[in-house]
Amino acid sequence: MLNKSFQFVRVAGSTLVLTIVLASAAHAETTDALQGDSGQSARGVKAWANNCASCHNLRPAKELRDDQWRVVVSHMRVRADLTGQEARDILKFLQENN
Amino acid sequence: MQYLTNKTLPLAAAISGIIALSSSAYADSESQSLQSEVQMLRKEVAELRALIKEQSSAQEEVKNLRNEVKATSHAQSEWTNADSTFHLSGYAAAGYTDRKQSGGSAFNVASFNPIFNFLYRDIVLAEAELEVATAADGSTETKLEYGSIDIFLNDYATLVAGKFLSPLGHFRQNAHPAWINKFPSLPPGFGEDQAAPAAEVGLGVRGGYPFGQDMKMKYALYAGNGPELEVDAGEIHGIKSDGFARDVDRRKVLGGRVSLVPLPKFEIGLSGASGGVGLANEPDRSYRAIGTDIGYQWKNLDLRAEYISQKVGDQEASAAPLGGTWKAWYGQAAYRFLPSKWEGVLRYGKYESPRDSQRQKQWAVGVNYLWGPSVMAKLGYEFNRGLAGQEADANRWLLQLAYGF
Ligand code: HEC
Repeated sequence: MLNKSFQFVRVAGSTLVLTIVLASAAHAETTDALQGDSGQSARGVKAWANNCASCHNLRPAKELRDDQWRVVVSHMRVRADLTGQEARDILKFLQENN
Repeated sequence: MQYLTNKTLPLAAAISGIIALSSSAYADSESQSLQSEVQMLRKEVAELRALIKEQSSAQEEVKNLRNEVKATSHAQSEWTNADSTFHLSGYAAAGYTDRKQSGGSAFNVASFNPIFNFLYRDIVLAEAELEVATAADGSTETKLEYGSIDIFLNDYATLVAGKFLSPLGHFRQNAHPAWINKFPSLPPGFGEDQAAPAAEVGLGVRGGYPFGQDMKMKYALYAGNGPELEVDAGEIHGIKSDGFARDVDRRKVLGGRVSLVPLPKFEIGLSGASGGVGLANEPDRSYRAIGTDIGYQWKNLDLRAEYISQKVGDQEASAAPLGGTWKAWYGQAAYRFLPSKWEGVLRYGKYESPRDSQRQKQWAVGVNYLWGPSVMAKLGYEFNRGLAGQEADANRWLLQLAYGF
């Protein structure tokens, strides 16, 4: 029993530690996303072509509205383990081309 | 002087008469021209008034238009910039299976899977998928495929809490939707309670990290309640991995997948998990999963292969003392005949289980017609080899319509 609680503490503890370590490298993503930069669109096309056709057929920008892409790209950011930067670049590209 | 006066008097009178006459004529014409001038001025003033009126109404119009444009652009940006926003997506499938040797034929797939996503700024995503499907007996099955709250901790890490699709391997998480799977059926061993884990209830961290030129590392680590066992007549018949909100063996499962993207569109993944599994009121037994997956896309060709195994340890004190290993692998090639709407698929799969009746080897050949990237009709044939007389041994035709929306 004691062994099991130890196991649990270990699991919870290590997850927490990992989370905190990773979170400490936090970036100011929202401000980045608002400002954008000139190369973003070009990076976006590339990231879209490289990442968005590996699990399913490529879904073209015209399929969805800006607000819908915002949610879908966040969904795919989790599903496909995209970095925040890749997600923002791809979103920018999709929103500019729908 | 007298003379002059006498002579000039009438003249003067005449002159002054003329002057008086002419001056009165002059006064007449002057007042006429003045009048016409006044009239003209009046007209001009009226015109000016009309012009001013017109201009001010134009100004009013411009003001109204400005307000309208402002309201429209606000309505537009409201959608894109609102703090909390959502999207409803999902997929539907309908299918027909014709099994020559056993079971006959039936319209046996009718499912609708709505997916709900709610996003709060770029901080939190709540994602959930429901499966609503018609069961063989006509009843309706409803299932929470996944439902989790994801917190974007930073650019490289997202915390996932709740019920999530198992990150072990590729297929169960990424190819289960009918519009993504290139063939109408799942590869042998990748179905319910078979070799590949489906979902988990717990807590995880996942993300990606770029390095070098176009290279990337991805990871998905988790701690969860783990699977349970399906036992019948003293034997384990399957590993139930649909995700449980209890932990009968009381030992958590820790696991994850790490993958490398050495070139764009090429990914190699390694998965592993370890912990406890068991039955209620029994001592727990060991559980471990190991897998590897590889995917490569080149032009119109899509290649994928995957191996997964789950091992359950022995437990003398159990109602089903003997453990075992459930393992499966498949290799698949799909080719798009662009610019046409046709796609061809070839898949080989093998499933090994401690239960002979479950084992299966399969060649599958299919042809798909795509109306759009997520709207298609799929026709396939499976050449199956299993224990003689079992369902796993029967060849099948499969027809499926799928739409991801
Ligand atoms: C790791 C595999 C994977 C990658 C890579 C991937 N997707 Fe998806 N995508 C999925 C799965 C799986 C679904 C089905 C939804 C589900 O099961 O949650 C999906 C669904 C979608 C949908 C339907 C709407 C929705 O949210 O369900 C769209 C649109 C989409 N993806 C676009 C993209 C874009 C754009 C990219 C590139 C950023 C991308 N996908 C990359 C696996 C992937």
